[in-house]
Amino acid sequence: MPILQVDNLSKQFDGLVAVNDLSFSIESGEIRGLIGPNGCGKTTTMNMLAGLYRPTHGDVRYHGKSILKLPTHTRTAQGIMRTFQIPKLFSEMTVGENMMVPALATSTVKTPEFIEKLEHKSSEKLTFCKLDHVSHLLAKQLSGGQRMLLQIARGLMVEGLELFLMDEPFAGINQVTKETIMDAILEMNKDHGITFLIVSHEMPSVRRLCQTVSVMHEGSMISEGSIEEIANNPLVIEAYLGGQNAAS
Amino acid sequence: MTLLWGLGMNKSRRQFFMTIGVLAVIAALLPLELGEFYVHVVAIGFFYVMLAVSWNLLAGYAGQLSLAHHAFAAVGGYGSALLLQYGSEALKIDIPLWICIPFGAFVAGLVGYGLGSVCLNMRRIYLAVTTWAFAESFRLWVISEYEITRGDLGLSTELIFDTSDPTPFYYVFLAGTIFCLWVVFEIIRSPAGFYLRALRDDEEAAQAMGVDTVRWKRFAFTVSSAMAGFAGTLQAHYIGLLTPTPIKFNEMAIILIMVIAGGLRSFWGPALGAMFIQVVSEALRDYSEYRMVLFAVMVIIIMRVYREGLFGMLRDGMAKLPSLSASGST
Repeated sequence: MPILQVDNLSKQFDGLVAVNDLSFSIESGEIRGLIGPNGCGKTTTMNMLAGLYRPTHGDVRYHGKSILKLPTHTRTAQGIMRTFQIPKLFSEMTVGENMMVPALATSTVKTPEFIEKLEHKSSEKLTFCKLDHVSHLLAKQLSGGQRMLLQIARGLMVEGLELFLMDEPFAGINQVTKETIMDAILEMNKDHGITFLIVSHEMPSVRRLCQTVSVMHEGSMISEGSIEEIANNPLVIEAYLGGQNAAS
Repeated sequence: MTLLWGLGMNKSRRQFFMTIGVLAVIAALLPLELGEFYVHVVAIGFFYVMLAVSWNLLAGYAGQLSLAHHAFAAVGGYGSALLLQYGSEALKIDIPLWICIPFGAFVAGLVGYGLGSVCLNMRRIYLAVTTWAFAESFRLWVISEYEITRGDLGLSTELIFDTSDPTPFYYVFLAGTIFCLWVVFEIIRSPAGFYLRALRDDEEAAQAMGVDTVRWKRFAFTVSSAMAGFAGTLQAHYIGLLTPTPIKFNEMAIILIMVIAGGLRSFWGPALGAMFIQVVSEALRDYSEYRMVLFAVMVIIIMRVYREGLFGMLRDGMAKLPSLSASGST
């Protein structure tokens, strides 16, 4: 059974169809890429999966059960976490406090002993994401790359994390940070079996990380397969380069 | 509910109890030195401290800019006074004040829960306008339902102590203030405090991090309103007369000025600001409404020069003291 099953998902904003009859599934333990030209509906899809947008039509099933009616925070508590293209941090809280928010919110136990364990876990994850030296700083004091890393580190604090939805995790950050993020993704996938759905424009990163890539265009899924397969798909070439360029 | 415990922060809790202990002892000794008038002034100062710290919980920590806090104090006061009057008549028993006072706070909390639920999807200016509209509606209701509330004539109510000496009331206000400070301290040091601050900084991100923002917004509204209502009941049973005048926006403006002057989002700042403004306000009583102009100018200066307010200035000033003395000794 796939960990995530999306069936005929659509989202309409007044007259604009952002996502149109989208269907795909992701197997547990997979690192899936989701690519497509700007405005093709990738972020809208992520928002529907995370529960921030309510679909106009269709269903989203997680471990075989529909999660359509679940609010965002409940989905997070069930192990679905998302990051944002422009990092959304708690800017007036320290890095360490940012880490504690999802940990506390998704844990049922809240004894002082358990909190100490969470604080220890937070230190580990910050070290893992190379942020341990800035744990005392306010989130608003971090650089762009550090902000993205904190989003990811914070996501790892979710109790029982299974599905990590990442929206453009490599956008506007330097190569060293990109490498750190990619290493973290591969390690989390290998060691903890976390499934990833990664929206990205960075093809080298997608090539390195994702076994399967799904391509969206104008709200619909136009291709799915390995990076080589989709690179040779005329529909994908047309979507990226336009009809005339593709023909020439 | 696992709310009222610390995040392994025994040190900060110890510091809190030490600070509050020292301040309480000083405050308890003050009536021995002050005349009756200033005992009254400081007692009312404690009333504003309760309002300021509870509004800071809602607006400073949870980021919910409500302009109805003064109305919640009145809801508490009227709730208590009306239960005392009509409840006692209906039940044909004398309902004691120790039931009426918590009842007033409970009613204010309940109304706060309702208003918080109505305002769940509102932010910033929309929230401010809606809560202000609620406060105005409540004021107009008090005026128009004069058969129940006695409108502008005022509703007389029983005093906590049968004396014109403000000193025993002073100690009740002091105890109430310590209680409110303790409640707010425990909340902001608990997971609830983390959720409220996360909600303030980015509501969408808070949801994505697993925070039930609906629940915590309601919680902030309910607790802060109940505390305002509690302060309002003490005020009602101290003054002995309830009128719609304190439900005018002026009162909310005073609370706002107190919090901003003291230091929005800091724990001690609003308490310091409330007491400072109250005492200065009484000292400048001869200048009538010009006081408000002065306070408005002060808020502008603080917002321009030092957003952390008086408490921030005091804290930074004290932090510089050792370095000053060290440099002076060399």
